Amino acid sequence: MATPALQLAKVSKDFGRIIALRNIDLTIQSGEVVSILGRNGAGKTTLLNIISGVAKPSSGKVLLFGTDPSDKLNKAKLAIISHEMFLYGNLTALENLEYYGSIYNIPDPGQRIANVLADVELTHRRFDLVATFSRGMTQRLTIARALLHEPSLLLLDEPFTGLDQHAIGMLLTLLNQQKKLGKTILLTTHDLHTAKELSERYIVLDKHGIIHDGSMKETTPDEIRKKYFSTIAAEQVA
Amino acid sequence: MRAAIAILKKDLRMEFRSKESILAMWIFSLLIFVIFNFTFEVSRLIMLEIAPGLLWVAFIFSGMFGLNHSFAIEKENGNLRAMALMPVDGGQIYLGKFLSVTIMMLLFELLIFPIFIIFYDLQLSLEMLLLIPVVLAGTIGFTSLGTILSAVAVHTRNQQILLSLLLWPLVSPIVIWSVNLTGMVLAGEVATSFYPLLIRVGAFDVIFFTFAYLLFDFILED
Repeated sequence: MATPALQLAKVSKDFGRIIALRNIDLTIQSGEVVSILGRNGAGKTTLLNIISGVAKPSSGKVLLFGTDPSDKLNKAKLAIISHEMFLYGNLTALENLEYYGSIYNIPDPGQRIANVLADVELTHRRFDLVATFSRGMTQRLTIARALLHEPSLLLLDEPFTGLDQHAIGMLLTLLNQQKKLGKTILLTTHDLHTAKELSERYIVLDKHGIIHDGSMKETTPDEIRKKYFSTIAAEQVA
Repeated sequence: MRAAIAILKKDLRMEFRSKESILAMWIFSLLIFVIFNFTFEVSRLIMLEIAPGLLWVAFIFSGMFGLNHSFAIEKENGNLRAMALMPVDGGQIYLGKFLSVTIMMLLFELLIFPIFIIFYDLQLSLEMLLLIPVVLAGTIGFTSLGTILSAVAVHTRNQQILLSLLLWPLVSPIVIWSVNLTGMVLAGEVATSFYPLLIRVGAFDVIFFTFAYLLFDFILED
């Protein structure tokens, strides 16, 4: 059997007295697209940080493609899209991508940069400083930056936040392309419609753990909505 | 080395575009020279005694500004996290940042030194070429330690205060020896202790650089 893209065994994370995650067991196979649902503060971002190797778990084991997430080879296979842009406002769009192209040592950087800029429809703004971009344009450039090195695993932390309808459509098209290429995608979102459209599997995080892990195909949108909102309703009742 | 060069190129490009750091450093140093030159009426002999100290005060305080600025730009848009995610050794990232801070500081020192000569009416001589290794060694010692401590301090709310608190006790010997060495050159009295002292500063540079290069991976972790 092929090595899973991601394996978490009894992963816990706390920040002093604050418990973020408790005993998370999760396996994601290569090529799977999984949505992580949960209210604010459920631990979704912390989980992505641990998977990416930026944060160490307090206990438990994380394996990315069978090895440690902080392994250099793993880092080259990984990309993150989040509310943090990872871009420099005082550099142009092209300079930002050239910088990341050098860091990730991508082959034929000129052509690859031209392709990703075209994918996010920013070719005409490539010589402009990122500081002059609108929020939507910056987010599109963030997507280009993330896809530049053709990652095998995409971690998306609420990637649709702040995007207009056109940009949302563009991101969905790009993510569907990545899906067809067999890339593994892990997505946190509050948008159940998009989660249903993109992913085959969903997990609901609450009370620091996974309370639901199911197949999107076998679950109706109403059922997912109930499971998702039950966590919020339960908290409000409490 | 590829990643270090990419970081260096990116930092220099951003700095030369905004000129934010170099202008602030230059104005600050100019103020120090003007204030000390026109406020205190001291004899030329005393001025020669305090001039090396003044020169290094200008270098070090301006260097502090450069160090703070170097990682402040990485905090913007989460770039510090992007660095932690890069598929390269932390040492490469450290080397890139160290080189950019050092080049900026040396460039600034090159710009400020002629003004220092004019303000303090110093005579140019061939012996002054000995200031090149002194300034190089002192600056590298300061930036090699300053770069890693700046990366530590940037995670905190009181970045500038913490950087000063961490850096000063450790870098003081290098600064004091650099002032002594500069004093010897400016006075035209290069004593037999000059070269051993210069080698001592160089040895500290190597120790600080190696320690920072090897430990930088841990600094990037959350």
